[in-house]
Formats: sequence, structure tokens, C-alpha cells
Amino acid sequence: MAIKYTAKVIEHFKNPHNIGIIENADACATEGSPACGDEITVYLKIDKATDRIEDVKFQSYGCASNIATGSIITDLAKGKTIDEAEAITWKQAADELGGLPPVKMHCSVLAVDGLRSAIRKYKKEMKGIDYDSTLDVKTVTEELKHVLWPPVGVDIITLKMVKYIGIDQGAVRVEVSVGSDDKFLDPTVNEIIEHVSKIRGVKSVNVENV
Amino acid sequence: MVYLDNFRSTMVAPEVWAAMRTAAIDEYAVPAAFTQCGTGAAELVERAQNRLAAAIGASQNEVVFTGSGTEAINIALWGSTWAQAVDKPEIVTSEIEYPATLAVYKALEKEGYQAHYIKVDGEGKYDLNQLSSVLNEHTAMVSLMGVNHMIGTIEPLAEAGAIIADASQHVGRRIPYHVDFASALQTQRLDVDAVKADLVSFSSNKIHGPKGVGALYVRKGTKIRPITFGSESYSPLVPGTPNTMGIAGFDKAVELLYATFDKDVEYMLGLMNRLATGIREHIPYILLNGPDGAGRAASHLCYSFLFIEGEAIMMFLDMDGIVVDTGSACAAATLKPNYILMAIGRNHEQAHGSIRFTLSRYNTEADVDTALAKLVPIVERLRAQSTIRPAAQ
Repeated sequence: MAIKYTAKVIEHFKNPHNIGIIENADACATEGSPACGDEITVYLKIDKATDRIEDVKFQSYGCASNIATGSIITDLAKGKTIDEAEAITWKQAADELGGLPPVKMHCSVLAVDGLRSAIRKYKKEMKGIDYDSTLDVKTVTEELKHVLWPPVGVDIITLKMVKYIGIDQGAVRVEVSVGSDDKFLDPTVNEIIEHVSKIRGVKSVNVENV
Repeated sequence: MVYLDNFRSTMVAPEVWAAMRTAAIDEYAVPAAFTQCGTGAAELVERAQNRLAAAIGASQNEVVFTGSGTEAINIALWGSTWAQAVDKPEIVTSEIEYPATLAVYKALEKEGYQAHYIKVDGEGKYDLNQLSSVLNEHTAMVSLMGVNHMIGTIEPLAEAGAIIADASQHVGRRIPYHVDFASALQTQRLDVDAVKADLVSFSSNKIHGPKGVGALYVRKGTKIRPITFGSESYSPLVPGTPNTMGIAGFDKAVELLYATFDKDVEYMLGLMNRLATGIREHIPYILLNGPDGAGRAASHLCYSFLFIEGEAIMMFLDMDGIVVDTGSACAAATLKPNYILMAIGRNHEQAHGSIRFTLSRYNTEADVDTALAKLVPIVERLRAQSTIRPAAQ
């Protein structure tokens, strides 16, 4: 049926806050990819004495909800400490916008991932905190919590759609259970591959629909 | 509002609305014999059959009215495929057909039919060599379209028809040839004998007629079985009470279409060229999807705007009162990029940035100029915000 954005999404899409680039940013990260349809880059200026985010900007290649979620997460992050900003969830971002259609909820995940990636880069460089964890079933499971099932906007782990995760010398096999002619199968498989490929040590990702 | 999404649906012409009103208020009886009012309604249906039949070189009894273009496609494809007595039946279409055709083919595949999807070139034109190579004694149906609904490619229907006729002669049985003419009717003339079509489907709302009515041409002698059943009607293929109000509207739309056909197509071509020239002159980094020039229908123009995403362009245009469509995955209910753009060799990113403009004879130069004036800054603005940009910048 009709997919509609809230007035707040439209407002942030029309007049996004914090759009642009920070020259000499303290941290910058890009998440998503043009091939997957949306990409976001987040720039941070951080007060090193207080770890507070002084300025944050973003660029977006994507749809209205991608732009709006980029706008809202930068609003939410500005003025917060990096630990506080890192704790912002995609649910919070979507709620701030008055909700997103389930099929668009992944845009909120992407925006929050962009912000977190930039913060974690900063923490790694400035504080030596390494977020890269070893490749194991737990790491893959955590990453798959960022893949949402479009009709309901809930992650595929919570929905118990992931039946098996196997790892063999960097080759990751993920078995999911989706109807074979489900229209969301292809985009979901692509998203699983995109997310799991980000984990350090992953050489290949094979997704099977069982 | 500047409405440039006329393939999705067109405005009902005022004369069409008047004809529908008359049919609803004054000619509401069920078409039937012997009573004056029933005869009047029956004559309304016959008049409409005759008009469409005359326009495509057919006879009255070869035209029936359906509930939509999609229903016409379903009656043609299910009805005629089922009626073929063929061992290990195979069905043929292309990878860029209208979703209704592809959906029926997928359903027939589940019934055990083997489907062949012929490929297209970079402009969306059918690979006729492949068509020729897949036809054999098992072929139970070929379905092709007149104009591609996304990119406007005018398909070689007559050449395909000749190939199918040759193959039919070779196998000693007529291989049924269905043509989806819904997106072509507005700009292309059709002669069913020249094309050698057995079945042709049409949709009223693409030519300023009402929604909820389509038509199907069935060549006399074509093997076809009804797929729905009910009370007697003017044809067993469309049982039940005919939608006389819709048929009257469709009939008026057909009358108006052919009254000024050549003039209107020429006019739309002028508008389309104005729009295309304006886009080319003012917006860099674009890709035309579909043929340039005479190979594309006057109604269609589809461009990919690189480095940005189509839903965002479409929504900004919509807020400015300009209505268009996009092949972006973000705007699709399936989150998949448009399959036609992928079939002509575009990548995901190029498909995401696509905008389809479809014109009608009611559009004006002012519409085109307004759309251009709004589009140029929207593209510039979204590009300025984008994470990706030309390598040189």
C-alpha cells in the first residue's frame, strides 16, 4: 500500500541539517555503497580535551530517508561525547523522525553505522582502541543484526531467519530461510554480503537460501 | 501540476468523461437483445468493438473488452497457451516485458512450461536471432511488446511476426503471437495483419480513457480457452455484465486518439525533443536510456543522472509539482533496481539515478520548461550533497 514519509522526514530531506564536508576532520567514515543504492559519509570535529563532538557533517548518496536519517543522526550527535554518540541507535534515529516505513528502516541503520564508524576510527587512531574483533560466529551474528528484513524493518537475527553461520579459513557461509521467490531475497542477500564482508579476515561470503 | 508520468496513467479526457456519464446515466441497461434500452447498450459495445477493430485492421468480433490491460494479457497468455496441444510446451518472451506478462510467464513456469526470455541490446531492442533460435515444435506462445514502457524502445514487431510465421510453417502449426500494445497505442499505429499478431492487448488509461477497462484482439481461428466463467456475454472470453461505462469511455478515447493521431505524435515529439535538448544542454553526466531519435516513442524519455539517486530527484520534483517516475531501487517496493535498465547494461548506480518522463498530447511547452527549470537546480543540489562525484572534481 501507500508508503509515506512523516512530515519530519520530509522536512529533514528538504532542508538537511549539517550537510557538507568538514575540512581537516578528526575522523571521517563512509558506509554503504552506490551499488547497494545508498552511501553516507560522516565527518567529525572532536574536542580532544573533552571528547565532545564539536561539529559533525555528512554527505549522502541516497533516497529521501537516507538524507533525512543523515540529518537527524548528526543533530543527535552534535555536542555529545563520542561515547554518548556511539550509543545512539538506529531505532532512536527513526523515532526522532516520527518513524520510517519498514522498507526504509535500513537507511537509519546505515546512518548510525556511518556515525559509529567515524567515532571508532577516531578512537582507534587517538586512543588505540581496536574494534576489529576476530572472525567468529558471534561477530558475524552481531553484524547480521544490522541487516533488516524490509517488510517489517526488524533485523534478520531477531526474526530467526538466519539458520546457520559457518566459517572456514575466512570463507563465511550464511544460511537464511526466505521463500525462494520472495521479492526481498536478492536485496537481502546483497546486504548480508555487504555487511559480513566488512569484518576483518573475511575472504568470501556465500549466502544460501535454505 | 505538471504531469509527466503519462505511462503510469493519463488524465481522462473531458469528452471521455462526458461519454462515460451518458453511458452511466442514460445507457445503464445490460447489453441485450429485444428491448430498446438493452439494444442501445449492446450497440454501444459493438460501436466500441468496431472502432478499435477498424483502427488495427481487424473485424468487430475479434475485439473484446476486459477489466484492464493486465486482464487482457492474462486472458491472452493463459487462455491461448493452455489451448495449445503441445508436448513439453515452451513459452517465449523477452526479459524487458511489462510486469503482467513476466508474472504470467513465472506462473506458467510453475505449471511446468519452459520459458525463454530473449535478450535485448543496449537500446532495448529484441535480439531477433535469439527469438528465431528458440522457436521449435514445443513453442506454445510468443509474447512481445510494441513500445518498452520504461525506455520507449519501438520494438520490431513485424520482423518478429515474420520470424514466428516462418517457424509456424516449419512446425506445421500456428505458434500464437501475443503483442502487448498498451504502451504503444498512444504513439504507434498498428496493423494486425502486417505484424501477423494473433492476440493484442490494450489498456484504456494509457490513452486518456478510464482505468478499469482494457481490450484484447483475438484473431479469428486462434486457439484460446476462457480463463473465467460466468453468465453469457458478447464473447465467452469475457463473461458477465460488460462495463459499458468504461467501454464507452475507452471508445471515446480511441475516437479522439485517431482523430488527431499524426498531429499529436508530431506535437509530442517536439515537446520531447525540447525536454531532451534542455536536459542535455543544462545537465552534465547523464545517460540516455533507450534509443536516441526515431527508434524511441514520442511519449518516452528516460535519463540516468549520475552520482545521485532517483527517488530523491522524483520527490523534490514532486514537491515542486512535477510528476515523474524513477527506476531506482529505493523507490521500488522490491528494493531492486529497474530490471529493464539492468537488461540494457546499466549498472545499479546508473539505474538508481534514472528518471522517466512520459508525455501526453495534453502537455505543453510551458510544462516542459517548468520541469526543466525545476530539474536543473535539484540535480545540482543533490550532486553537491552526494558522497560520489565525477573523478575530475
